[in-house]
Amino acid sequence: MMMLKSLWIETGAEILKVVRAPEYIIPTLLFPVAFYFMFGVILAGSSNNAGYLLATYGIFAVMGPAIFGFGVSTATEREKGWLTLKRAAPAPAVNYIAAKVISTIIFAAMAIALLYIVGGFVGGVELPRRTWALLLLTHMLSVLPFILIGLTLGFLLNANAAIAFANIVFMGLAVLGGLWIPIFVFPELMQTIARFLPSYHLGEIALAISGQPAAPGQGAREIGGHLAMVINMTIGLAALTLFAWTRQRK
Amino acid sequence: MGEIDSALSPLSVSGLRKSYGKVRALRGVSLSLGGSGVTAILGPNGAGKTTLINCALGLVKKDSGDISVFGHKPGKMKARRRVGVMLQDTDLPDLLTGRELLTLFASYYASPLGIEDVISLTDTAGFISKRYKKLSGGQKRRVQFALAIIGNPDVLFLDEPTTGLDTDARKALWDIVRAFVAQGKTIVLTTHYLEEADALADRIIVIGHGKVIADASADDIRNRMSGSVIRCQTCLSASAIAKLDGYLSAETAGRFTDIRTQDSAATLRQLLAQDNTLSDLTISRPRLEDAFSELTHDDA
Repeated sequence: MMMLKSLWIETGAEILKVVRAPEYIIPTLLFPVAFYFMFGVILAGSSNNAGYLLATYGIFAVMGPAIFGFGVSTATEREKGWLTLKRAAPAPAVNYIAAKVISTIIFAAMAIALLYIVGGFVGGVELPRRTWALLLLTHMLSVLPFILIGLTLGFLLNANAAIAFANIVFMGLAVLGGLWIPIFVFPELMQTIARFLPSYHLGEIALAISGQPAAPGQGAREIGGHLAMVINMTIGLAALTLFAWTRQRK
Repeated sequence: MGEIDSALSPLSVSGLRKSYGKVRALRGVSLSLGGSGVTAILGPNGAGKTTLINCALGLVKKDSGDISVFGHKPGKMKARRRVGVMLQDTDLPDLLTGRELLTLFASYYASPLGIEDVISLTDTAGFISKRYKKLSGGQKRRVQFALAIIGNPDVLFLDEPTTGLDTDARKALWDIVRAFVAQGKTIVLTTHYLEEADALADRIIVIGHGKVIADASADDIRNRMSGSVIRCQTCLSASAIAKLDGYLSAETAGRFTDIRTQDSAATLRQLLAQDNTLSDLTISRPRLEDAFSELTHDDA
């Protein structure tokens, strides 16, 4: 009971911190939808782009709050000694992480909502209600591996390095994972790299769910195979996060 | 000091050792705290004070020896619930207000103090609703102090609480500490400011090079420097000064000579008789600082 009340207050504090730094949260929320509007709706050559990019931009949209929110804020607060102070006080570490996860999910949901509004009302994406629901579930669950990446950065790096690395990881996962431009138009080497990125597999799952036809010269998308890869990578990232967490406690 | 049951002692340490690589931060520290009041752990920078506090809080792992907080292993929830802490070099989240931080910290404890009570005790009402980032150095420390006491701790650890503050801000924080002690609380304070230990502490534990050098009441330590200090400009030689009645020791720094004496009147009569050029004469009580520098000097 006390734990729950504390988690509630902690979550409120996390949300306040995000809302009071509009210079970080506004770009994180607006970039995905602005890019999507540009490349998926306005510059859409063939009519299908809006539907295709909605699937992949959904993954892109949740990456921002997770990687930047977790990576940069954890690194900053750790550097200031705030995490150490909480460790000396009877503050449960689980609450700190859980509050950040909840706040990240809320902002990721806002980014997704903006995207769906533009896709559905302006881009003319039409999907059965069940498909919308499945796509939303996929996009929201995608936040998990990216949170683990953000946390690892936050535990291992100081604040400045965390900002730099978060940018690199963020752009790398987006471009090399084929979230902006379909990966099949890239050279073979880059397609090979993509197979090692969670963003690629999550994008493929989202594309399969929204019924996008397979890429030319490739077989139909196998959700099972991509899902297995995502689960394995998430487990690997969780282990890495645990290592980073133990290390920062010395 | 008599033996104190470790389950009742806010901090009980015996033979505590801790090294960082080749640096031996603690080389066998033993001490035990009893009831209420302020204990100052005094020593120069690098003496091992912060390492000791961090061991007591479970933030640093000891190499060997024993340390317990109310009989619990440091860092365990049972110990953490009874402890309040103000750490060195710590900043709180910039974008939250003092009141929000207090509400958050209060939620970690089963029976915290009232937030309004803490605000009035720490005299933070004027800026508690401002974001932490906008506060001055002294105001930030006061909010940190408020956070340290919100859980109504049985023992409060303050690690160098006034380092970097100006005189006014330091005195303001001392007043708050005194108000908290007046409620019968136990405080462990580390400081390298002798003045601070002198102003607040009932008991002073001097630490140097990772060891306890002295452990006594503030008055005791002062009494070790009995007598008076005569400061003057004199043309007498050191050997002549040493023959004066009541002479204990003497030290010349620049133009001035400090003569420590058991009997200032007797020493002074002879001094005036022997040196008719004597000038700039002052007589004072020995300062705690003199005792302190003598104690740390003995060890080195």
